[in-house]
Amino acid sequence: MTFGDVFSLSQANLWRTRLRTFLTTLGVVIGIGALVSMVSFGSGMQRNVTETFREHDLFRTIEVLPGGDGLERTAGGDLESIRDVRPLDDDALESIRALDGVEIAFPEVRFPVAVRLDGEEAKTTLQAMPAAMGTSKPFDDLPYGAFFSSDDAPAVVVSQRVLGELGIAIEGEAEARRSAADTLRPLAADEILGRELEIVTSVLDEQRIVSGIATGGILSGDLPLRQEVVSLTIVGIQTRPTGFQAMRLAGGLLAPPGTVEKIPRIGFSSVWELLDGDGDGGGYPAIHVRARTAGDVEGISEEIEAMALNAVTLSDQLDDFRRGFLIMDTILGAIGAVALIVAALGITNTMVTSILERTREIGIMKALGGTEGEIRAVFLVEAGTIGIVGGALGLLLGWGVTRIANVVANAYLRPEGFAAVDLFHLPLWLIAGAVGFSVLVSLIAGVYPAGRAARVDPVRALRHD
Amino acid sequence: MEGHLLSISGIEKSYDKGRVRIPVLRGVACDVGGGEFVSVVGRSGSGKSTLLNLIGGLDGADAGSIVVRGRDVAAMSRADLARHRRSTVGMVFQSFNLIASRTALENVTLALTFGGCPRAERKTRAAALLESVGLGHRLDHRPSELSGGEAQRVAIARALANDPLILLAHEPTGNLDSATSEEIIGLLSRLNRERDLTVVMVTHDEEAARAVSRRILRLLDGVVVETVELEGRGAEEGSAS
Repeated sequence: MTFGDVFSLSQANLWRTRLRTFLTTLGVVIGIGALVSMVSFGSGMQRNVTETFREHDLFRTIEVLPGGDGLERTAGGDLESIRDVRPLDDDALESIRALDGVEIAFPEVRFPVAVRLDGEEAKTTLQAMPAAMGTSKPFDDLPYGAFFSSDDAPAVVVSQRVLGELGIAIEGEAEARRSAADTLRPLAADEILGRELEIVTSVLDEQRIVSGIATGGILSGDLPLRQEVVSLTIVGIQTRPTGFQAMRLAGGLLAPPGTVEKIPRIGFSSVWELLDGDGDGGGYPAIHVRARTAGDVEGISEEIEAMALNAVTLSDQLDDFRRGFLIMDTILGAIGAVALIVAALGITNTMVTSILERTREIGIMKALGGTEGEIRAVFLVEAGTIGIVGGALGLLLGWGVTRIANVVANAYLRPEGFAAVDLFHLPLWLIAGAVGFSVLVSLIAGVYPAGRAARVDPVRALRHD
Repeated sequence: MEGHLLSISGIEKSYDKGRVRIPVLRGVACDVGGGEFVSVVGRSGSGKSTLLNLIGGLDGADAGSIVVRGRDVAAMSRADLARHRRSTVGMVFQSFNLIASRTALENVTLALTFGGCPRAERKTRAAALLESVGLGHRLDHRPSELSGGEAQRVAIARALANDPLILLAHEPTGNLDSATSEEIIGLLSRLNRERDLTVVMVTHDEEAARAVSRRILRLLDGVVVETVELEGRGAEEGSAS
């Protein structure tokens, strides 16, 4: 008896009891459908995070933080040890820039400012961002306008949020359409670009300090501060939050470092600047590094660590993400697997019932010379067929469910200003794995009934009614 | 025993009924030559069905041997027993034992499938077999659409599918009226004569057995109590053994 014969026999048997076969297969279809949609959700989440990282070149990014033994001791409560912490000064910056594979390294400079436009004022932060960062995402394709052309251009990139606080909505953007934004004034992006934005900073008013000391007034009343105003041209607008914000790389306003340096402000923006006693510049809270390739990141990080500084890479964080996603996938997969196990019990139940009904037929097959192996094979192929068909249809069902869920989710997300996103991902391994798992589970479910059929005593079976 | 197609000696078989062990066959022995038509008669419970099941390899003996063409069926593995049932013997049952969901043609092709007949030849051979038992016009009918006699003819065609050495018929007329019984007995006799096919038939119908058999074995309580040798079909020239 060839495999083709075994296959034909089993298909004929399944067809003969087609309603029961259909219902049993339906159980598998639902089980696999649940498994596929759950796991593809986990897989989709993981892919979206990874893709965002990759899109924004975060795999090439290293964040350097002050390091050394002193940092741990300080964290442990020994505040004096903070003096042993290696600060991020210009020496450190130059050393990092000199490392092989470093494309760009720039210090984190950000400070609070007020901005004014058309009589409206808002508070935000201004951050220095080198023009070279405009060659890659998210700054290479700003939704409106363009990134800075040079490191000392009198230009600024504003975020949509800051514009909103200034009472402006960009025409065509979700905020402008929402009824809640009645108070916002819609303006076309072209009307915003090219406008002068006033940057207002506070600086120490030496005259007030001197006169205050003379009169004793410094100890009472307002702080001895005066405001400085610098006008910068709006060259670009960022509309959406990006993955870069996770790296503290996108503030409310971005301006070239040369321009930022010229903006008068209180002399320090962090405790590190205070610690930089020699006054040669630096004492930055962080230095951001972009490697030429993702492959350079590990080597650069090791060399930075060797300088007694801390290097934080996205790869480290991505490993944590992956661990989290693995746990999520396992939980989601387990929920789907429960549905499949129930379906497997359905297969066993159906087949045991079928054997009881077909006892006489099995006896006849044995009387005609069917071996135990051949009879076992017929039943296993029946179970396997339910597994393959159930797996394939379940895959289709799971895919359909994810498509519908995606449409529904995006229908809710889009009006909130989020970009259309595919929440689900059906990788090849999941397609093959789902069908393979379905067949495996079905075969396991068929082992007992098939063995029972093979062991049927032909003499008794032929007397069976 | 040399020269016999089937040699049975010292066959013992018991069944457990609760805690009691009931002997069914007790030292049965007989030889059957090639082309012989032998009938086994006896009352219900005499052990004749069990004897046929043992020869057919459906059941195993407790002791003794059943040698067919030099191979002891009683000592065969389960896989060898399946091969024995497939190609050495063909079986016909009182209740026909056709698969209800399959047509006459498909019932016969199933036997050919187990026998290893190439797929391309099965339908032609099955049709020819059914034609030879007078059912050429009933190929696509299911058992429920056939009369008892027709169903038994399908069963006989199926038993002949793999050219067996021995046809084992278990009460082949037990479910048939007398006229149809005569037809079936006549068919078995014809096959015996024309194909020189060895037939071992278990029956209650001693008259029918005498009409076609060369030898009749009478079983009583698991023992062969009489062997009747018949000179030619219909003749009675018996001898007690």
